[in-house]
Amino acid sequence: MTRTCSSSKSIPIEAPRILSVGTANPPNKYTQEQLLEYYQETDWKIRSIFLGGHISTRHLYLPEPVNGMMPEESNEELIQKHLRGCLEIGSQAINECLEPLGLAPYDIDFLCCLSSTGFLCPGITAHLIKKMGFRENVRRADILGMGCNAGINGLQTVTDFANANPGKHALLVCIEICSAAYVYNKNINTAVVNSLFGDGAAAVVVCRDARLTWKDGPQVLDFEPHIIPDAIDAMRFGLENNKLSFYLDRDIPYVIGMNVLKPISRLLGRHQLKKRYIQHWLVHSGGKKVIDAIAYNLGLTRHDLRHTIHVLKNFGNLSSASFLFSYKALREETSFQEADQAVMITMGPGTSIETALLQW
Amino acid sequence: MEMKDYKTLRVTQEGNVVTVRLHRPETGNAINMQMVYDLKDVVDILTDAGDVAVMVLRGSEGVFSRGIDLSDFSLDKPPDIYGLQHWEKMCRQIERLNKYTVAVVEGECIGGGLQLVLLCDARIAERKAVFQLPEVKLGFLPGMATFRLAKYIGLGRAKNVVLTGKTLKAEEALSWGILDDVYDLVDLEKALQQKIDKLLPLHPGVLELARRLLLESYASEYEDFIGGFLAAQHRAIHGDAFRELILKAPAGTKAQEIFVPKDTPKPSRKK
Repeated sequence: MTRTCSSSKSIPIEAPRILSVGTANPPNKYTQEQLLEYYQETDWKIRSIFLGGHISTRHLYLPEPVNGMMPEESNEELIQKHLRGCLEIGSQAINECLEPLGLAPYDIDFLCCLSSTGFLCPGITAHLIKKMGFRENVRRADILGMGCNAGINGLQTVTDFANANPGKHALLVCIEICSAAYVYNKNINTAVVNSLFGDGAAAVVVCRDARLTWKDGPQVLDFEPHIIPDAIDAMRFGLENNKLSFYLDRDIPYVIGMNVLKPISRLLGRHQLKKRYIQHWLVHSGGKKVIDAIAYNLGLTRHDLRHTIHVLKNFGNLSSASFLFSYKALREETSFQEADQAVMITMGPGTSIETALLQW
Repeated sequence: MEMKDYKTLRVTQEGNVVTVRLHRPETGNAINMQMVYDLKDVVDILTDAGDVAVMVLRGSEGVFSRGIDLSDFSLDKPPDIYGLQHWEKMCRQIERLNKYTVAVVEGECIGGGLQLVLLCDARIAERKAVFQLPEVKLGFLPGMATFRLAKYIGLGRAKNVVLTGKTLKAEEALSWGILDDVYDLVDLEKALQQKIDKLLPLHPGVLELARRLLLESYASEYEDFIGGFLAAQHRAIHGDAFRELILKAPAGTKAQEIFVPKDTPKPSRKK
């Protein structure tokens, strides 16, 4: 038995780097107690789901209360809210991401937008191009409906573009208006969803350029997906009174827990790495139970998961944008050094676990 | 496990038991930076060694350790905290090692020596062993023993040990809860062997989960803890050990009955 060193041999010399990150949320922030009051919720089961203590506040696009009560939103209002929200916080996240680089939308060569909380045609990229002044020849892709894991699927797409086009800038924007998929029908299933998800957007710029260094941002080295087809129904959209409503199976944390080591072992094994050599873990803030499942199956500590827990507490589950909020929290902490490695993990419908390996 | 030569340690393997001896006899096995690096290296190798179930940590030549070696420090440059940070990181690795860890103490176990003992799953000593954390009396701090000691012996006793530098005899360390057992020196090796024989075979994955939960139990709310417990238990009952347990159980027998000793009368059950 020999010791393995923490550096990897199969790293390309200049993998694309994440140069910047920006995030945005709706202006209005709600505590769980406020929401229970607005919905005049008296069912103790639903109240205890909201007040479980793992989420304190969430930013949401909710209508103004009328006589202290939340008015019901029609399907049309929910669809309009999704597009309006996408344009508002999507453009804010993009601006926050581009500004430090001295870039404008005009400089972006590839625009990839993803959302799982509404269906629209033309896609979000077309609307953002019109609103923000991207070039008329910007390449683009819209990813819809892949769920909470989709952020890493989007990161694969922009990384592939950046790899194939050195010097060009690829922009990934994850925009989730989860409040546009809220159905309030006093049912436990919808209460779980309504107590958990928040609205938020996150954007990152990825570029491959030999002149960039670790100080410009981490290289995106590799990805490893894992899909569990047997659990295809564990997370899905259904219809409640003709409105899209998300459904979460109670077994999800356990399904994720049983499987999460598989992609991680393949990803790290390929680079001769061990879990304990990884300095930073950026895990999707799916919910308390699924975070626990990952902690105990991968042997991660609360410290390893501090950003994940922080994002869940202050924003709720932001679906595909969550892990980039954790990434931003890590950037702001500036506790990383040259050659540090990070593993990103997102999980969502499919049932799917997506992983990525970064290195500064 | 592949054996290496270390400047400050003697490492031997017998079956699936690895013994790590602190070995700087000229200094009473005082802990210097080299020893910290050597210990970290051993623990790294042990972590990946599938053929090892138990790590025994002990001193040599009748002494466990006389504590930190101050000759690593010098007045020529300002003392830095990073060496001590390395020490604490290494300690945490021992505390969370995926092996069962046993500290065996002979003679003096001072300062960093006692800090090492507190990391281990089992702690035994010979009757003449003595324990002390003299750091505060000397003008610095006894590392993260400040975090760990009170969990073994309670706040009042921990204050007594840490703040006054009181010397504890083995019997006292036993009655206070630092030690599991104390033996006469002549019986120590046999007792250690019996302890290990009784323990094996063990399920390292389950052991690691159980130890993690115990360590976390001091700083958790019940509502936070139960989620972690359920995630850990789910992992345990999907492991090979539990599968074999079920396979071995005669049809219709519940798992807990397997552990009932044969001479214990079974409660009568209605059919």
